[in-house]
Amino acid sequence: MSTETGRESRRSGALVSVMRWMENLSDTQYAYLLLVPVFVLLGVVALYPLLRTFELSLFALSADFSSTTFVGAGNYVELFTGGKNRYLPGGTTFLPEGFGLGALLNSALVVTIIFAVTSVLFETLIGLGQALILDQDFYGRRWIRAAIIIPWAVPVVIQGIIFFLMFNSNVGFLTPPLADLGLLAPTNTLNDTASATFIIIVADIWKTSAFMALLILAGLQSIDRGLYDVAKVAGATKWQQFKLITFPLILPTIGVAVLFRSVQAMRVYGIIDTVSSCTVVPSLSCMVVATFTTREGTSAAIAFVTAAIIGIVVMGLIVWQGEDAI
Amino acid sequence: MATPTDTQEQSSDGPLQRWTQSAIQNPDKVYQALFYAAMVFFLVTTLFPFYWLVVLAVTPEGNLLSGSFLPTVNLFGVSGTFPLPVPKGFNPGAFVTVFEQVPFHLYMLNSFALAVTTTVIVLFVASLAGYVFGRLRFPGRALLMLGILAISYFPPAAFVIPLFQAFAGNAPITIPFTSIPLFTPPRLLNTPGSMVLPFSALFMPLSIFILTTFYGQIPDGLEDAARVEGTTRLGALFRVIMPLSAPGVATAAVLTFIAVYNEYFFSSIMATSPEAAKWSPIVGGILSYQTQYTTQFNLMAAASIVGVLPVVILVIVAQERIVSGLTSGALKE
Repeated sequence: MSTETGRESRRSGALVSVMRWMENLSDTQYAYLLLVPVFVLLGVVALYPLLRTFELSLFALSADFSSTTFVGAGNYVELFTGGKNRYLPGGTTFLPEGFGLGALLNSALVVTIIFAVTSVLFETLIGLGQALILDQDFYGRRWIRAAIIIPWAVPVVIQGIIFFLMFNSNVGFLTPPLADLGLLAPTNTLNDTASATFIIIVADIWKTSAFMALLILAGLQSIDRGLYDVAKVAGATKWQQFKLITFPLILPTIGVAVLFRSVQAMRVYGIIDTVSSCTVVPSLSCMVVATFTTREGTSAAIAFVTAAIIGIVVMGLIVWQGEDAI
Repeated sequence: MATPTDTQEQSSDGPLQRWTQSAIQNPDKVYQALFYAAMVFFLVTTLFPFYWLVVLAVTPEGNLLSGSFLPTVNLFGVSGTFPLPVPKGFNPGAFVTVFEQVPFHLYMLNSFALAVTTTVIVLFVASLAGYVFGRLRFPGRALLMLGILAISYFPPAAFVIPLFQAFAGNAPITIPFTSIPLFTPPRLLNTPGSMVLPFSALFMPLSIFILTTFYGQIPDGLEDAARVEGTTRLGALFRVIMPLSAPGVATAAVLTFIAVYNEYFFSSIMATSPEAAKWSPIVGGILSYQTQYTTQFNLMAAASIVGVLPVVILVIVAQERIVSGLTSGALKE
């Protein structure tokens, strides 16, 4: 120790004393000291805004727009009883006003849930297929894997432009054939809520299946290959091998991946903003962005409801997975 | 071996029947065929959108709206629609015009600058945290990791309102639920700070989990040896543990870079107008083509190709790191 301090002291006195103070901290003290930057960053950019969003959601703008008054849960009550719908862009409602497809797709909450559930379902199926292929040993596997990952790395704005250009009514060559099948509106496709929602779901599946595939692939590769040898000796077909060995063993991985992706899918904003617009496909994040400069309280209440829904999903994950979730 | 039922196709004459016969004898052949069919399907679906961008980009502007991209072909007297779009003419000039009409290179530089800055900050802060969580045992460890995990799950929309107000720098920041003012922040909108700060917080948890795994695997003996040699604890982290975990650090760096480069939400909100001089990243560059030059679809496509090239190269070069990072880090999350 004496040589160390001797050498260090040639630098500067203050630094040495700080260093010596750090060296003498206990493990716990040292751990919390090193975590200070994390706490500061997350505190400023995540914790403070989260609390403040909740605070803002308890206040409403007065009639003359000059001040805000405390309304307690008033914003939330109005949100769920439809009183806030007049502030949402493009005739959007928060909860659906009926059970027809039009009314359902006009509701921010329902659109977000439909988007999350549908896209994650197809991403899981396609990701499973891609993972089963990448799990095999074949010539050129590296290149196939790169090709499958590339959509995941494409910036959201470019993903949006790609699908905008594929379904745009001027140059989009995919609209006429799909309109003939009755899947899309033949004209003004990207301004039709049902068509635009469909296109945005397809765009999300295209981009994110690879992510699912990689997670499921990790599960596949952790399976003991000896099990398949045993199955072969016992005369099991490939389908039986999949049904009785592969699938049960990767089910927990799939479960975690599905919940993780659902949480991400609930945030959807960028792809909607690029392909269509927030008035056509009203997701929850869209509504927050559309109202936050004019109607803070409303916007904050929607933001907090979104966070709460995601929080409930995550709590479910943690309770279900227990300590393994960490 | 049992005959799988799915190979019993309707028999027809010719090669198909012969193939079916041999497939019934040898079911592995069917799986091989299915495997290659699925592989081709996935390749086509993932790569086709890029092909479409190329088709649009090289089509001269005047030809964009005339006629169909699906040409009618006449093959041996039978005419039909060719199933793949082909360019109507050839004009590589769009890749030059794209930089002239809008300073697209400046938007890309902004994106690079934001991504590199965020990556450096995230690597430094996440290294400290990874060292703590991977190598030290202390009370509250599991709870803190859970807290960081929980924060990473919240949607950006839950943070954006107060952050936007704070970065606007108009009013002092108050402690939530009181009116005690703390300080008035500087105006950060349209500067790198307003984007780097949220990016760092948003993408740090993944790096923390990746680095925790890697730093935790370095044997204690190596750290002890460095300490006996006379380095400080921090010195041991940055001179011994971090270099030894180079693959993990590279993984965290690549994933953070791609995440920032791809980000949309804060990039579009914190740069209030899509101008390169106001630090708007590629989001602004591409959107300005979509909003200002609404019929120049070839330029939109060319800009998208230019914008996507850096990440495509990164994926091809660093795919091992991406795969290992996503599977080890994200599964933990």
